[in-house]
Amino acid sequence: MTKFSKLKIIILFSIFCFLFSLSAIAAKLELNSSVSEIGTGQQFKIDLTLDAEGEDINAAEGLISFPAEMLELKEIRDGESVVSFWIEKPSLKEAGKIKFSGVIPGGFRGILGPYWKGYQPGKVLSLIFNAKKEGMGAVKIRDAKVLLNDGQGIPAETIIFNFQFLISNQAPSSKFQVPSSKDTNPPELFTPEVASDPNIFDGKRFLVFAAQDKGIGVDYYAIHESARTKEAARIDTKDWIVAESPYVLKDQKLRSYIYVKAVDKIGNERFAVLPPKFAPWYKKWFVDTAAGLGIIIVVLFSIWLWRKYRKISNM
Amino acid sequence: MNFKFHYFLIAFVFCFTASYLLLAKNAFADADGVILTVTISASSCGNGGIDSGEECDGSDLDGGSCVSRGYSSGTLSCNSNCTFNVSSCSSSSQQQQQQGGGGGGGGIVIPPSGTGSVVFSGRAYPLSTVTLLKDAQVAVSTIAGPDSNFKISLSGLSAGSYIFSLYSQDKNGLRSVLFNFSITLTVNATTNVGGIFIAPTIAVNKSEVKKGDDISIFGQTAPQSEVTILVNSKDDYFVKTKSDKDGVYLYNFDTSPLDFGDHSAKSKAAISDFASSFSNLILFKIGAENVLAPKPTEKKVLKGEINGDDRVNLVDFSIVAYWYKRPSPPLKVDLNGDGKVDLIDFSIMAYYWTG
Repeated sequence: MTKFSKLKIIILFSIFCFLFSLSAIAAKLELNSSVSEIGTGQQFKIDLTLDAEGEDINAAEGLISFPAEMLELKEIRDGESVVSFWIEKPSLKEAGKIKFSGVIPGGFRGILGPYWKGYQPGKVLSLIFNAKKEGMGAVKIRDAKVLLNDGQGIPAETIIFNFQFLISNQAPSSKFQVPSSKDTNPPELFTPEVASDPNIFDGKRFLVFAAQDKGIGVDYYAIHESARTKEAARIDTKDWIVAESPYVLKDQKLRSYIYVKAVDKIGNERFAVLPPKFAPWYKKWFVDTAAGLGIIIVVLFSIWLWRKYRKISNM
Repeated sequence: MNFKFHYFLIAFVFCFTASYLLLAKNAFADADGVILTVTISASSCGNGGIDSGEECDGSDLDGGSCVSRGYSSGTLSCNSNCTFNVSSCSSSSQQQQQQGGGGGGGGIVIPPSGTGSVVFSGRAYPLSTVTLLKDAQVAVSTIAGPDSNFKISLSGLSAGSYIFSLYSQDKNGLRSVLFNFSITLTVNATTNVGGIFIAPTIAVNKSEVKKGDDISIFGQTAPQSEVTILVNSKDDYFVKTKSDKDGVYLYNFDTSPLDFGDHSAKSKAAISDFASSFSNLILFKIGAENVLAPKPTEKKVLKGEINGDDRVNLVDFSIVAYWYKRPSPPLKVDLNGDGKVDLIDFSIMAYYWTG
């Protein structure tokens, strides 16, 4: 080996060292899976994880692309996501492209647990694919943005790890189970809130809501407004309106009960109810009348007492 | 031989320096952070007595009944995992009742049966309100003791990963920064998170200081804490003071060494081995005259607070989300004033989140 080639090796080694050091401090967005060789027709799961690596992260977005001719997207799961609120819920925007954008209020440094030291990366979302066609390919993250929890939205240095796979008829059978009908837990309790603001919906009253599901994620929300109190679980299916937050209320006078249900991807339901802010007209009329009658009775009784007192004192 | 050694030495020094400089940032970041203890206790479910994290145990229902759980009648029993079984309860209204609130304000939610629980303990400020957020929404509030210690329990939680956040409000109404952590909860077990030390609040008496005059930097933390104040300038200045028995600290900082222009300060507190993270930044200017800052008791509009309810929460998020990528957003929702609503605006909002 010449002196020159030795020098080259040393320089390359130094560059490698430098890049390795750099990678240790940048946030990481990584696509990973327990399998990299998949049999044709088999399903497998890819997780997108966020490793904050000592930074404090509060927002992330990106585009996940995959070869649509090789992979069929079966499902997107966000049940275990560290993202609290989605600005753009992960969804298939066009063939082979999944867009996501969300925030983590207060920031994310990693997941703590009693069984490990320090922070572990957190899951952003999971993708379930069906392998359609033999060949090599990659699932990639593009246009990724990870922002620091610093009150200014400064981008964090981010390293992207894509996922490469091989679809082959010789691949060992995948252990991935499509689940998870065993998940009987409904989404977490949630509290819808009514608000209004001149900046949206022309100042009309709207409802906001967000439920978390620790299983595979919330599938949809539905709303029912009614002047009558009901048992939420017995409301007829056709009376529910599938809706997204924020939702413009039909009853702008807030005289109705507002029923909201969050349904997870297994079908488990969680209900929340908001009572009317203002009583319906008939209840108001009844209360006003009763109050008026009460006042009249009290006044008449006082007059009667006063007259009786005067009679006694005149005797 | 000499040549080889020489270059290997250069490579080694280069690697070592690069690694040290870059990794040092991480080490300091860790030093900034708090010392948290996360432990998990095995379930005592089934011993017939109600322990931490259990709603009931066997026939011991802790005085609970269908009525106390929000149902109108029926028989309440206990599941094998020490959560209430409400299957024999009936209700004339709805499956999960909510009361109060209405209109603009939500209500009280009756907790469901669950499988895990979590206990948080640590220090805030004496007699301050400590608020716990679960996945960015208010779960419960409590009042810290006169010694600033607090303890909050949440039970009936499904197994899985949660993001919990804590903040406190001092006697002047100033809020601390959010103390955030993500935990994975386990079935039939109580996860204890101890050693929480909520960051101090911070305020200054002048928004502009005449160069050479003092600026008072003050706030509240746990009593008898060692408070370190970092004043950001061309050179950073670290000064130390001690909080009094009420947790109040004050430091009169001589501005002589600071250059004209904008500066900021932040503080953190420590007691024995426990340290808080840094407070939020407070800004001030070195100029030609003294301008008093608004008193901390005066109401200030938080960044990201859109609908005027003094909170930054899902309502504000929804309003900003409505304008996401839409043209000509109102100034109020364009938090960084760049003429568009994008991820940066949400990041700013997430920083000021109160739930």
